[in-house]
Amino acid sequence: MAEDPSSASGAASSGAALALELRGITKRFGTFTANDAIDLDLREGEVHALLGENGAGKSTLMNVLYGLYKPDEGEIFVRGQRAAITSSADAIHLGIGMVHQHFMLIPVMTVVENIVLGAEPQHLGQLDLDTARERVRELSASYGLAVQPDAVIEEIGVGQQQRVEILKALYRHARILILDEPTAVLTPQEVDELFAVLRTLVAGGTSIILITHKLHEVLDVADRISVLRRGKKVATIDREGASERSLAELMVGREVLLDVARSTAHPGETVLSVQDLWVRDDRGLDAVRGLSMDVRAGEIVGIAGVDGNGQSELIQALAGMRVPHGGHVELNGVDVTRANPRESSDAGVGHIPEDRQRHGLVLDFSIAENTALHDYDRPPMSRVYWLDRDAMVARAADWIQLYDVRGGGPPTPARALSGGNQQKVVLAREIQSNPRLLIAAQPTRGLDVGAIEYVHRRLVEQRDAGCAVLLVSFELDEVMDLADRILVMFGGQIALERASGSTDERELGVAMTGGKVPA
Amino acid sequence: MTRRGQIGLGAFVLFVLLVIVWRTQSTDVAAIVSTGLFVGAFQYATPLTFGALGGLYSERSGVVNIGLEGMMLMGCFWGVVVSQETGSWELGVLGAMAAGGFLGLVHAVLSIHLRANQVISGTAVNILGLGITSYGTNAIFGSEGSGDVPRIPSVLHFLEKVPLIGDVIGGLNLMIYVALALVAVSWWFLFRTVWGLRLRAVGEHPRAADTVGLPVFGIRYAAVILSGVLAGMGGAYLAFGLGSQFSENMTAGRGFIALAALIFGKWKPWGLLAAALLFGFSQALGDALQTILHVNAFLVFTLPYIFTLVALVGVIGRSRGPAAAGIPYARQ
Amino acid sequence: MIRRILRSPSLGEFGLSLLTVFLALIVGGLAMAFTGANPLGVYKDLVVGAGFDWPFHLIPGNPLGVNALLAENNLVATLVLFTPLVLTGFAVAFAFRCGLFNIGGTGQFWVGSVCALVVAQHVGGPGGMVLATIAAGIGGAIWAGIAGGLKAYRGAHEVITTIMLNWIAIYTTQYLFAVAGPLTDNSVGNGVSKNILESAQYPGIWGVVQKIHIGIFLALACAVVYYVILNRTTLGYEVRAVGFNPEAARYGGISVKRSIVAAMAICGAFAGLAGAVQVLGVNYAIPASDVPVIDIGFTGIAVALLGRNTAVGVVLAALLFAALQSGGTQLSGSFNPELASGVSNIIQGTIILLVGGELVVRWLVGRAKHERVVPDVNPNAPPPQLPPQAGATPL
Repeated sequence: MAEDPSSASGAASSGAALALELRGITKRFGTFTANDAIDLDLREGEVHALLGENGAGKSTLMNVLYGLYKPDEGEIFVRGQRAAITSSADAIHLGIGMVHQHFMLIPVMTVVENIVLGAEPQHLGQLDLDTARERVRELSASYGLAVQPDAVIEEIGVGQQQRVEILKALYRHARILILDEPTAVLTPQEVDELFAVLRTLVAGGTSIILITHKLHEVLDVADRISVLRRGKKVATIDREGASERSLAELMVGREVLLDVARSTAHPGETVLSVQDLWVRDDRGLDAVRGLSMDVRAGEIVGIAGVDGNGQSELIQALAGMRVPHGGHVELNGVDVTRANPRESSDAGVGHIPEDRQRHGLVLDFSIAENTALHDYDRPPMSRVYWLDRDAMVARAADWIQLYDVRGGGPPTPARALSGGNQQKVVLAREIQSNPRLLIAAQPTRGLDVGAIEYVHRRLVEQRDAGCAVLLVSFELDEVMDLADRILVMFGGQIALERASGSTDERELGVAMTGGKVPA
Repeated sequence: MTRRGQIGLGAFVLFVLLVIVWRTQSTDVAAIVSTGLFVGAFQYATPLTFGALGGLYSERSGVVNIGLEGMMLMGCFWGVVVSQETGSWELGVLGAMAAGGFLGLVHAVLSIHLRANQVISGTAVNILGLGITSYGTNAIFGSEGSGDVPRIPSVLHFLEKVPLIGDVIGGLNLMIYVALALVAVSWWFLFRTVWGLRLRAVGEHPRAADTVGLPVFGIRYAAVILSGVLAGMGGAYLAFGLGSQFSENMTAGRGFIALAALIFGKWKPWGLLAAALLFGFSQALGDALQTILHVNAFLVFTLPYIFTLVALVGVIGRSRGPAAAGIPYARQ
Repeated sequence: MIRRILRSPSLGEFGLSLLTVFLALIVGGLAMAFTGANPLGVYKDLVVGAGFDWPFHLIPGNPLGVNALLAENNLVATLVLFTPLVLTGFAVAFAFRCGLFNIGGTGQFWVGSVCALVVAQHVGGPGGMVLATIAAGIGGAIWAGIAGGLKAYRGAHEVITTIMLNWIAIYTTQYLFAVAGPLTDNSVGNGVSKNILESAQYPGIWGVVQKIHIGIFLALACAVVYYVILNRTTLGYEVRAVGFNPEAARYGGISVKRSIVAAMAICGAFAGLAGAVQVLGVNYAIPASDVPVIDIGFTGIAVALLGRNTAVGVVLAALLFAALQSGGTQLSGSFNPELASGVSNIIQGTIILLVGGELVVRWLVGRAKHERVVPDVNPNAPPPQLPPQAGATPL
């Protein structure tokens, strides 16, 4: 277990004032300890990265700081004074602002309304939106955070939404800013813009805590780094001397191979052929615009891109959830353009949906019932409307063993499993049906490193067994790691196609934002 | 306004013009029918307006309120009781508001504090309201019923002098004017004031509201209790403004029609008023059919419910209520 | 061993229901005490009035002094009330299992009654009985199916639509059989339908003054049907999936719309059968005056909730409520029978409050890990086809 090499030396030697100090913070949920006696300090004017894998306790700790959780033990000191933070209002009062990972913005209200909510300029109880707009414009100009004040949140892009979140905090005179996984939804270029803003803020005297699991970003922008692992803080180190490898090892506690070993692909015949596909989104606008692509047996095609460029709609069309209004989809020569989900899965499409809890599983069904989701109405799972429960349970028991699903047996409700194990159930169901095409959408979202490794291994396995694998991920690293061929999706079309190994992040990033790249 | 709305509005305006032309030809029947229809529309709409306003506040804050029926019924009963005991209709109205507010508090505790399923909580409130008022009416009034009760008066008689529309807008019951005023006030409150913005925020995204320091639970409690108070007012008018006594289960589903009016009106004050007027009109139309065309009373009674069904069929699926309505909010 | 039993879900649920009943009885008792009655005395009279003391007369020597004949009559009366109630209980419980809320039991009951009546007025014998029963089921299914269709295809929340349909059915039935109504028997003065053919009546099997009829077997058979449909058929799999998670169900290839309509139709069929049972087994006609008074649909809600939507639970809960009601009519002069129906409503309401509010659970267990008896639904949400907004999932 690594110690804390710098906390003794760092604060004392640098003599820097402490904007914030957390001492011995412990937070439990039932028998599960999310934060275990964590000490953390934030110097004035520094960018302090909080690193850890999913489930390490980073968000919990920040929610404690922001008053959304009450700690079971421990104390918080803001600028040297002991602080009792029991609600967000308290935290705001103390100058702590938080930019959440899932934006806390009200979709149907405007930018201005969202920013001033709770601290509205008013006149005898009536809302004074003119003054509000003025103030927003002022703030926006002084920090370089461009927003359209009267735009409605659900109609603006993610980058602007994040700027609104930051302005919310600045409007309330935040001197300590917490950013929770801010780069998850941004292109590489937008990340650069964000970091420039952060540097401006720091120059102006703001102190920043940055929660992230992206190692190279940490090395880009942080002054100091604290690593959490399984609820405990394992180290606080300066950026100097830290490397991706050393950070990864601190995060996970053992040597980590940052790249999945992978043999070269030997692609065979074309399995999936998409020609000039047009798909509309919920609002009736075209999300996929004349897209064409192929996936061959025995290869992994990865689609990279920022969320919101039509990936979800494309996948839904391929899985039968959405009907395209133009173009064709062929699977092994069979036209499946207008197939519904059942027909699609019968044709040999396996689909690991991006939201396993909403689309992949019925959480209140048992594992056994969930495994039968695609074939409950045919033998051997049923016969003429009569379910064969024993067959269902037996098969589920088999699969639980094969896929090492932990946390219960066939009758256990899916709700009781951890995220990683739930995903394994989905994997089992989709892979065991021997699909010709396996679509994996955000397959490792919210999983810890062990589960991520497992999923990646399985996908490569399927590829090696001759399956055509289509991977869609917002994590560029994942796509670059796994895919044999990389496609970048922007604005509903394929903007770039490259064999993996012949491109890099910069090039892909440019394509992801719609920039032109020499072919 | 949507195409459908335009057509509806146009039809309504046309109808109004026709009636005016018809009346100025002045036969007594025409006058009676048209006045009766309009006045009746307002009279029958008013309990619905109160109920729908109550539903508006509750749902805009994120709590679905199916219990309007029970709250209204409590208002009917306890308003009558207090009015009779004290001889004062003013106190009767206050009593009705308190009774409705009480059931509102019950619903609030269940839905907000205990995070129960809000539809179940509302249904329980309805059944409780029915039980308490049925039990009460037998215990207090016995089988003869409540007898004479001081009633809410009609006011603004001076308006009757206004030409052409005087006998429609003048001399209506006080509560009808109160309801209209409350609709206007609610519009101003929800869309022009700070707390209106906050209430709406809580109903759309309570967690976001929480993170900026708004008192989510407090706002919801206030909204739900207010919804009970308003529904109670509607009940008071129904029992001893429009009517003159209490009878078991006299709301007969009006609380639900009020809810439908809220949905049909897209959770906006003026919209729900228009919808309530439409449903009130359907009941007034039923009266006219009964007296003039001698259609069977029971068949006529079904009119408001049929109207409501048709309205719901045409509207829902296209409109969206407050995003977080119906989902209990949990802090960890 | 004891711990295994205690942890077994069904026993725990049963215990919770018992506790809920106990608390509700206390609340009812308070209401009675408030008006000067003696709760314990009233409750004892209720038990006797329901005929539950009847088994005790079989003890050799009859030590409790049970009046066997009276008890038998009372018990029969309770069972007669029980029969349609258990069916409306299933009408509601089935809906809950599918994520739906069926408050339309009363309307579906009347539609079923009218269908059964009309058939049984013209077709006699066992064939008539069967045909009338089926007609009632179909009538109820269609009536509820309307609400199901409106929900599935227009997104109209079933709470409002079923209530509207209730009142339409109630008033229409009154219209049909009121004095001078189109189907009224005009030879009798007071607004009632013509009787059904005598050969179409359900035969009675036990009782003297009143007989319990074969409808009770139908009701118990429905309990089996309920269980089987939900747990052993593909349809049950589908409607439960839709009830729990319509989006995942869609991904699995289940047609959400069809499931909603099918579920509501099945609920309506149960409630319609309740109507058949009343017409064919008890009244043999429909008196218009009955219509505004019977609120069997609402009682069905309490029955479903208390029975926690399980086959056995609904049967037991229906028995309890039937006892409350029938016992209430037998109370001696010290307690006004009209008050009894009010008390019964108060008890019902409290039970619904307690179960729906999961109050008892939270109080005992602290943190509710239970499967909710009724799934959370947002009645204002658009129909389930729309995928979620990006970024809207909570942490």
